[in-house]
Amino acid sequence: MASFLSPGSGSAAGGRFHLAHIRQRALATARMRLVWVVIGFVFFALTAFVRIGQLGLAAQGPDHGAAADALVPPRAEITDRNGVPLARAFPAYSLWFNPHALGATGQPLVKTPEEVAHALAQIFPGQDYDDLLRLLRAGKPTYLRRRVLPEEANKVHALGEPALEFPRETQRFYPQGSLAAHVLGYVEEDGRGKLGMEQVLDARLTDQAHRAEPVALSIDARAQGAMEDELSRGMLETHAKGAAGIILDVDTGEVIALASLPSFDPNRGDLARNALVFNRASNQVYELGSTFKPFTMASAIDAGVITDMAVRYPAKPLKIDGFTIHDSHDFGASLNVPEALIHSSNIVTAQVADKLGGQKLRETMIALGMNARPTIELPARGFPIWPKGDWPRLRTMTVSYGHGLAVTPLHLAAGYAALVNGGIWRPASLFKVDPGHAPAGHRVFQASTSARMRQLLRLIVVDGTGKKADASGFRVGGKTGSAEKAGSHGSGYRNKTAIIATFAAAFPMDRPRFVVIAMLDEPQATEQTSGQRTAAWNTAPIVGRVVSRIGPLLGVVPDGRRDVDVSDLTPLVANGDGE
Amino acid sequence: MNVTTRRLRSIGWIATLMVCAALVMVLAFRVNALRSQVHQSELRIVALKQETMYLETEFETRANQQQLKTWNDVEFGYVAPTASQYLETERQLVAYAKPVEPDAPAPVRVASNDDSVDAAAAFPGMVSPLTGKPATETADTAPEKAGTDKTAGHKTDDEDQPARAKHSALTGAGIAGPGGTAVAAAGLAGLGARLATVRHTAPADDAAATPRKHAAEGAKAKGDHATPEKSGAKSGAKGVAKGGAKGGAGPAIKSIGTKSIGTKVAGRAPDTAARTHPHHDPLREIADAGHSRAPAHAVRTPLIRLALKDARKDVKSAK
Repeated sequence: MASFLSPGSGSAAGGRFHLAHIRQRALATARMRLVWVVIGFVFFALTAFVRIGQLGLAAQGPDHGAAADALVPPRAEITDRNGVPLARAFPAYSLWFNPHALGATGQPLVKTPEEVAHALAQIFPGQDYDDLLRLLRAGKPTYLRRRVLPEEANKVHALGEPALEFPRETQRFYPQGSLAAHVLGYVEEDGRGKLGMEQVLDARLTDQAHRAEPVALSIDARAQGAMEDELSRGMLETHAKGAAGIILDVDTGEVIALASLPSFDPNRGDLARNALVFNRASNQVYELGSTFKPFTMASAIDAGVITDMAVRYPAKPLKIDGFTIHDSHDFGASLNVPEALIHSSNIVTAQVADKLGGQKLRETMIALGMNARPTIELPARGFPIWPKGDWPRLRTMTVSYGHGLAVTPLHLAAGYAALVNGGIWRPASLFKVDPGHAPAGHRVFQASTSARMRQLLRLIVVDGTGKKADASGFRVGGKTGSAEKAGSHGSGYRNKTAIIATFAAAFPMDRPRFVVIAMLDEPQATEQTSGQRTAAWNTAPIVGRVVSRIGPLLGVVPDGRRDVDVSDLTPLVANGDGE
Repeated sequence: MNVTTRRLRSIGWIATLMVCAALVMVLAFRVNALRSQVHQSELRIVALKQETMYLETEFETRANQQQLKTWNDVEFGYVAPTASQYLETERQLVAYAKPVEPDAPAPVRVASNDDSVDAAAAFPGMVSPLTGKPATETADTAPEKAGTDKTAGHKTDDEDQPARAKHSALTGAGIAGPGGTAVAAAGLAGLGARLATVRHTAPADDAAATPRKHAAEGAKAKGDHATPEKSGAKSGAKGVAKGGAKGGAGPAIKSIGTKSIGTKVAGRAPDTAARTHPHHDPLREIADAGHSRAPAHAVRTPLIRLALKDARKDVKSAK
């Protein structure tokens, strides 16, 4: 550019023109450059603005989804009604054999496979030595055990074998151990729920959209714990084969506790549970004996067969169709209805049922759902042994005191709820029911009948066979039942010592809120039960203890000055016990 | 010149452009840095949440129903509350304040500014750890002792202030509080009176101004069993601060040990006319205390029963 501007180049005019031309070109170049600079500025400014705008307005920050996904369990949590986790996905240890941990070639183990297998078999007593040895010798990567406790992992680690690894894998974990095991069920290794609510809710628990939200059951872990604890104490005291217990909300049908003993630990993945998965509370049917008498009486009161509580019935053994109905003791020449319930008289109940008629009693039982599987979400629901067709006179009589008809304890609980809650039968449910959303149910008894039954049940506990269930201040009412166990295949009641002892109760009787059922399978007479085998001596105390433990937890305040008014019935009862 | 300016200008523009570009890049880097920080934080949050879940699960497992039951059987022995442990209304609660005997005089209730003051007044008097006699015996030597402490190069009074405050807070009784709020009559003989009459609750400034006056009143009432509380209290406070200064540890430990009793008694014992009549007859009050002027459940503590017994003995011997 300097050469163009030098003064000694060309003529003056041409030089001027040339100069002007050069100047124009220079100006044009400068303008062009300016334009480029401006364009550059505008471009960068725009880029910056767009970026700022994008950051400030459009972008919603980093993607939260990926991180949040890590917190969503592969299987939703199950909690009790108060949010206490009963089952959750938990990254537990498993034992993995990695033969290449020490390099691709050479021995996979430091010690011999025999030594390692022996040590592992000692750490895991349930594990088979030969199986372990086979897996270790095979030299292939494999699971040695699916679930290992931290203590066990420490022990295995102490063996000093790099080939034994502990990957953390999300598994189903039950923090409460065997608590409510029959309600919860377990999850198999392939991830499918089995047995209890794990099976029922399998689809819901693994649903992508709902996995993050826990499912609340109606169970109360504290009440369940108290029930299982007292049942197992009762079982140990009486050397019983098994036990079942239910706590049911009478107004909503929610199952607050459902226990079946012996129980199992769903955390254990071995086969030890197979024998224990049977649910006695909802699957096994029993002839529940005298606990059925209140149903008969309520049906009779409802139908107008019993109008006067003072009417006395003869109490001498009753001969019907070559079959004699006895009582456990001789209660005198005659009994009225309150006395019959207090002493648990088969003879009087049979007479009342006879007057009532088989048709009416049958209708009542059907209304109480005794002819079908119990209504509950669990897959384990036993079908009752239900006498087909019209009931003849003798059948009516035996059913009236709980024989000839076998149902599950859950049937009994739902029936007692209807008996005391004003007469409405509602299906039992393991799902938490929101206030005001209780199922409508259907009426079985009139409200007045239910009121009368509350009095009578309370009377049984105050004056009769249920005295040991009388938890102070909780106004418990209930009925004992000790039924001889029928042999298999209709072989009759051969074994006179094998009985089913049941106590069906509700509390507080002035405004019933919960039904409590306790049942012992084949309790023995022991020192702890004063040498007795009947429900009054083994299951009634269980219910008494359970009620005093769960009452305050479930919001029932014990009050010694409050009770259901039984003053109109008390004068009719000559005190005395019976079974 | 022109060329240089132009050139400078264009260089300037380019420089500006580059600065802008650099700034945009800085912004972008900053944004990315923040973004990755957020990401890190999120990962950390997730990790912590998982950790919380592990710990929660472990806690739930270790504290499951069966485990709690076992612990309760072995260790705690808690049982469900019984009907008698429930109160339904305020009326039931008030019923507990009723006199235990039909002819028992109604408790006189007066306004009190501080429970700890009453508690202080109901304390058993300080006794010498060596002689077992009321601390009044050593009252005369206390000021000298304080003096010796100072000369011996121990903490000064100023240094002792926090210690005293601490002591006061510890006992909750205010015996040796910096303000000297309470002047409790010393010795077991005064206990009965104090049970029946929670007294000597002069306002803080008043007591601080005239500690000697109260001491003199106490001395007048109890003969030779009174003590200038300030010095006694000071030695008590020092006892706490120095962990066993001469003659101080005993009273200090004692006052701490009897805190709950004092508070309980003070909470229950009805305040009396003694507040308005400082020159009461202690003998009569001890006798009154024997007639359960304080509710029976308030004087059930063994220590107090023992003290009451002694006090009664004293009254009998005085008569």
